[in-house]
Amino acid sequence: MNVAVLVKLALDTGQLRLSQSAVGVEETPLKISDIDRNAVEEAVKLRGNAGKAVSISVLKWPPVGRRTQEAENLLREVLAMGVDEAYLVADEALAGSDHYMTAKAIAEVVRRIGADIVVAGEATVDGYTAQIPARVAAELGWPYLTYVRELRVEGGRAVARRDLEDRVLVVEADLPLVVSVTREINVPRIPTLLAIRAAMKKPIARLGLGDLGIGEAPRARLAELRPLMVSRRRLIVKEGTVEEKVDRFIDFLMEEGILRGT
Amino acid sequence: MRALVSSPEAAVLAREMGLEALGLARTDEEARRLAGHVGRVYVVRSGSVAEAIVTLYRDEGFALAVLPGTREARDAAAHAAQLIGAAFVPDAVNVALAGDKFRVERLVLGNKAVAVYEAHPPLLLTLGPGSRPVGEGSAGGEIRELSVGEDRRVRSLSVEEKPKGAVRLEDAEIIVSVGRGFKKKEDLQLAFHLAEVLGAQVGCSRPIAADLKWLPEEHWVGLSGKKVSPRLYLAVGISGQAQHIAGILNSKYIAAINSDPNAPIFQYVDFGIVDDLYKVLPLLAQRLKERLGRA
Repeated sequence: MNVAVLVKLALDTGQLRLSQSAVGVEETPLKISDIDRNAVEEAVKLRGNAGKAVSISVLKWPPVGRRTQEAENLLREVLAMGVDEAYLVADEALAGSDHYMTAKAIAEVVRRIGADIVVAGEATVDGYTAQIPARVAAELGWPYLTYVRELRVEGGRAVARRDLEDRVLVVEADLPLVVSVTREINVPRIPTLLAIRAAMKKPIARLGLGDLGIGEAPRARLAELRPLMVSRRRLIVKEGTVEEKVDRFIDFLMEEGILRGT
Repeated sequence: MRALVSSPEAAVLAREMGLEALGLARTDEEARRLAGHVGRVYVVRSGSVAEAIVTLYRDEGFALAVLPGTREARDAAAHAAQLIGAAFVPDAVNVALAGDKFRVERLVLGNKAVAVYEAHPPLLLTLGPGSRPVGEGSAGGEIRELSVGEDRRVRSLSVEEKPKGAVRLEDAEIIVSVGRGFKKKEDLQLAFHLAEVLGAQVGCSRPIAADLKWLPEEHWVGLSGKKVSPRLYLAVGISGQAQHIAGILNSKYIAAINSDPNAPIFQYVDFGIVDDLYKVLPLLAQRLKERLGRA
């Protein structure tokens, strides 16, 4: 089976450069979006012995020119996990663009590589809108199953357990299909040294919107990104005995009217 | 210009922006409530919501659609948005019409930043936390049935309801929440005892529910779990990953107990105790009993 796996090169929110008034996007490194590692693991399992697993990434954070090397280094990790080939769509016009354009680009790569199934993470750690899987499915005209925590694919058919808020749905769907997975689905492998070395020889194809024949304009644009001011009190007690700390906490709860004594 | 809305809150928002609201409901009960706030409601009892959105866009036209925040509704919105060539902004915290464009805000980057998007109509969105509840309306709108197809390529085999206990974190006034700082399952009793003294519910972070399974998922607080808005959220032994923080930002007060002074949770608290939870919890429960005069 040929499997395409979507890998977001997300802004590493853990290392976000923030000042009072600005978010230093260009100075913040990228990372592989956490849940996408589960997607990669699932894709490599689904591929089996005969098929091919191909990753697709769209570079969304500027500066695109300077990020390509960084992106390729991250894609080596994905290749080391067992993906055979990586596609990187890098185009200035996609940085800060909307999900409509991203889905168009991904779907076009999926068509070119001829995948039977597209696997994605349920959401990415930077944007967390969880909309790309359903959009890619719309673009391809394929059915989709999101929030999948268990997946079995055989005979051109997938059976999945989908995790919704208050219930788990067991569903089946025909291939070709788009699936988004949750972190419960598997434990992503840690590549061996041998696999890391082998990944250096695997191909990474770089494409622009022109190569994909996409000339459309985005529907929305990121106009501004500003730090969220946390207006919490941040009274943090490090010094003193446990008794003192506990009493200060209870004083706080009473003074603020959160608790009332008798 | 029109807005397609699926809740009374969204109808009020649309009216404030000068848009004529049109309702989209999934059940007769929802339709009845919506009819109090809009002139016309379409009720789609079964079939694909994405198809309903696309159909209403083609037949009625709308500049804005405000849909429910459930996972299924979000999927439908994303799917429909791609088909009609629209932007979709989930969990919008602020939306305004500026000239011929919408300006929408939402939290991104692990809730460390606010992104402002400019979008051409049509725009689809779901509302983030903080929207005002709206009572019964008296618009007396007309209710029409809209029938749409089902995607036969996806077939439902069975439904398993998640166990529902007495845990109602969404309504809790005080939540004592537990994380990886607890060394074994039995130790959670320390938190349950404190919760009893405080009249609190017990929540937990992702690893406790999803990985260790020490507590059922109904206790799970966070982006993938429950979003809560108590008067006091007390995080015990929780480091404060972005996905967890996203679920607690609407708490009136946030407090934390953690032995690691560098735990990210301390960036989000009103009050923090840096110490061993195994020493703090028993003493806190005991001192609270004395000072609150509770047995």
